[in-house]
Amino acid sequence: MSKKVLLLAIAVLFGSQAGLAMASNPDTGPGCGLGKLAWGEYKGQKEIAPQVLQATTNGSFGSSTFGISFGTSGCTNDGKIMSEHKTTTFASLNLDALTAEMAQGQGEHLASLATLMGVPAERHAAFFAMTQERYTSLVKAGEASPVALVKSLNDAIASHPVLAQASVR
Amino acid sequence: MLLPFLAFLACLFAPVPSDAQHSDRELYLKQLIDQAEQAKLAGQREWLLLLHYRKGLFGGYESEQDDPGFFLSPNGKTDPSAELAATLAQFFSAELVGRSRQPAQCAFIARYHWLKEQLQFDPTRLPPLSCERFDRWYEDFEVQSISLIFPSAFLNNPASMFGHTLFRVDQKGQTEHTRILAYTINYAAQVPPNAGPIYPIKGIFGSYKGYFSTIPYYLKVQQYRDIENRDIWEYRLNLTEHQLRRFLMHAWELGNAYFDYFFFKENCSYHILALLDYADPDLHLTDEFLFWTVPADTVRLVVSKPGLVSDITYRPSRSTVIKRKRESLPAAERDLAHSITQDIGELTSPTFAQLVPAKQAFLLDLASDYLRYRIETTDSPKPEWKERNRAVLTARSQLRIPSEEFTVRPFARQPELGHKMHRVAVGGGWRNNDTFEEATFRGGYHDLLDPEVGYTPDAQIEMASITVRHYNRADQTRVERATLLNLLSLSPIDSVFHAPSWKLNVGMNTIRHNDCQLCSNGFLSGGIGGAKEFRLLKREVLFAFAETEASVSKAYHEMHRIGGGGTVGMLADITERWKFMATGTYLKFPLGDKSDDFRWYIGSRFTLARNWTLRLEYNHRDRDNDVVFSVQTFF
Repeated sequence: MSKKVLLLAIAVLFGSQAGLAMASNPDTGPGCGLGKLAWGEYKGQKEIAPQVLQATTNGSFGSSTFGISFGTSGCTNDGKIMSEHKTTTFASLNLDALTAEMAQGQGEHLASLATLMGVPAERHAAFFAMTQERYTSLVKAGEASPVALVKSLNDAIASHPVLAQASVR
Repeated sequence: MLLPFLAFLACLFAPVPSDAQHSDRELYLKQLIDQAEQAKLAGQREWLLLLHYRKGLFGGYESEQDDPGFFLSPNGKTDPSAELAATLAQFFSAELVGRSRQPAQCAFIARYHWLKEQLQFDPTRLPPLSCERFDRWYEDFEVQSISLIFPSAFLNNPASMFGHTLFRVDQKGQTEHTRILAYTINYAAQVPPNAGPIYPIKGIFGSYKGYFSTIPYYLKVQQYRDIENRDIWEYRLNLTEHQLRRFLMHAWELGNAYFDYFFFKENCSYHILALLDYADPDLHLTDEFLFWTVPADTVRLVVSKPGLVSDITYRPSRSTVIKRKRESLPAAERDLAHSITQDIGELTSPTFAQLVPAKQAFLLDLASDYLRYRIETTDSPKPEWKERNRAVLTARSQLRIPSEEFTVRPFARQPELGHKMHRVAVGGGWRNNDTFEEATFRGGYHDLLDPEVGYTPDAQIEMASITVRHYNRADQTRVERATLLNLLSLSPIDSVFHAPSWKLNVGMNTIRHNDCQLCSNGFLSGGIGGAKEFRLLKREVLFAFAETEASVSKAYHEMHRIGGGGTVGMLADITERWKFMATGTYLKFPLGDKSDDFRWYIGSRFTLARNWTLRLEYNHRDRDNDVVFSVQTFF
């Protein structure tokens, strides 16, 4: 994920520069905006990205989004990501690293996602092997939206002989 | 069971106090204020830390905090006692205060708990309020410990030239694979949109406001490791449960606060140290910094406190990973990985197919690292890089084996092992047919010949340096050299890394020109070029620059000369302790004093101890020869 795409994602998710982000993505209503976030749409947005980049450079990914005791904004509450959005937020902000690690069958982003999804540590290896095996279809889901990726992973876990036994959040 | 119920009742009745309750409240407040005065609480270290008071030059106190909402008394910024009294008064009220809009007991929860402990609040007369927002925020950390995080220096961005520091709040049950999920406590300037190139200058003089935030560590890792390619050092701190709670309570209060951001002193490193100071008031960390706070110095200070740091972890940047992986391969395989990034047809070549799967996996991972490096460090990445990365990863997924652990050794060791920031040197030598003694003070920070341990390799930042020299035969004492700023960044180029090298130098020196034997000369010069690394002996970096220079001196006709030319040079590690540099420059000046210059420099450093070195340097300019031998110490 390049810096511009990352910053644009943060803008869409957390609503900093919400006007800009919504103008480019009219389906994104108020709130967290995760369901509608699709990576394919961001290819022709060079004219928007620099503005978002400017807005957040050295503000280090927007202190107003993660500001301590700033109240509720988009996906965050006093700077903390709301628990119901933790997994999808993580998936959408780390899609590149996750994609690579699924192909490589291990990695800290993948282990962290498994933890967020409630896969116990002793079953991480099985989870990694599963993502490697289903790599192509998972990447397709990830390109559609982070919500679709998490859903595909959940479905895959549910139908997996070892992983299905684990309680899944 | 009974206690929350009572608290609930207290809350219920608090907004409509009867006269009797009202007068008791007044009475109890007065009693608390008297008690606080007797105990001299307003002058105690904890109170001063909580409000960020600093003793002024002429006595009295002033808070470094700049948000008026942080104080409950109108004179709070300069009057610790008035602020303490106003704070106590506000604790009786459920009125929402501060930027975070909460009752004072919750908005300033560290103050509340400290005063409650000191004055033993009577819960029936000063009923505690519940602070659900704080509780939820605090619980969500699942705090186990705090780590100090140091992303190393990044010379190509003025704002991060010296590195950065932040805290990570480590979670219970966190493993080395899931620590990216932890939150950080970060302090940064809020730079407005379209700040433009002026922002570093505004940053120096406090034009921006700095805020605290809790950015997830995975975003910081992405920013530093993957996008800016900075190595990260993580220092796990030993704090007790009580200290952790104080740390986070104060962090919560600072959500109401902003500080004017001053790049050199009141910067990221300074204000986050204040959190540690409050967590353990015996540490006295912020007291150590008077004029400037350099991130590496704060790390050095934290590490120097006995027992404070328990564990140090290194997190390599993507570019370091790529370099180390390449080093570990024989040349043929290194080339093969590189050709895959150029043409994915290589994946079906017999050379690749005959490799064992583990080796194929290693090469594919390296190819993907490299493609992602290119995509993230280029302004408009080529679409085919993304396609190639996709093809590489698809091929990788088909191998059905997990990548093996690859341990990456850092190129630069951790910052606290490096030399200190200020430097003093004394020396002597010959210039033409005179002898001299000289003394130098340098404010900061590191030059190419200084001991490299702990510093970004091949990068130089010199600031505020002055040399005074006495010539024996001429019997003259003069300011020989002064440096305002001397930056130099060498980035060795190879098939993967293509960044240019550059330099910028502003200062004055003493020249011999035309009829003038010792003349002051002010100059501004800059250059751009390339560097290449060799490993013939130990490590050598060869470099070349194209450059321009403008000078002002009374030695010149028309008082000035402007021109350009080039430099070639070499920086070489001969042994662990001995470093050598040689440069040759030719400059032609067509404007002002029409002239040209041949310059040679040969310098050599020998390290005696971490903060002690010897230098022998030879400078030649035109008809001017200068040899100086010096002893240097860092402090």
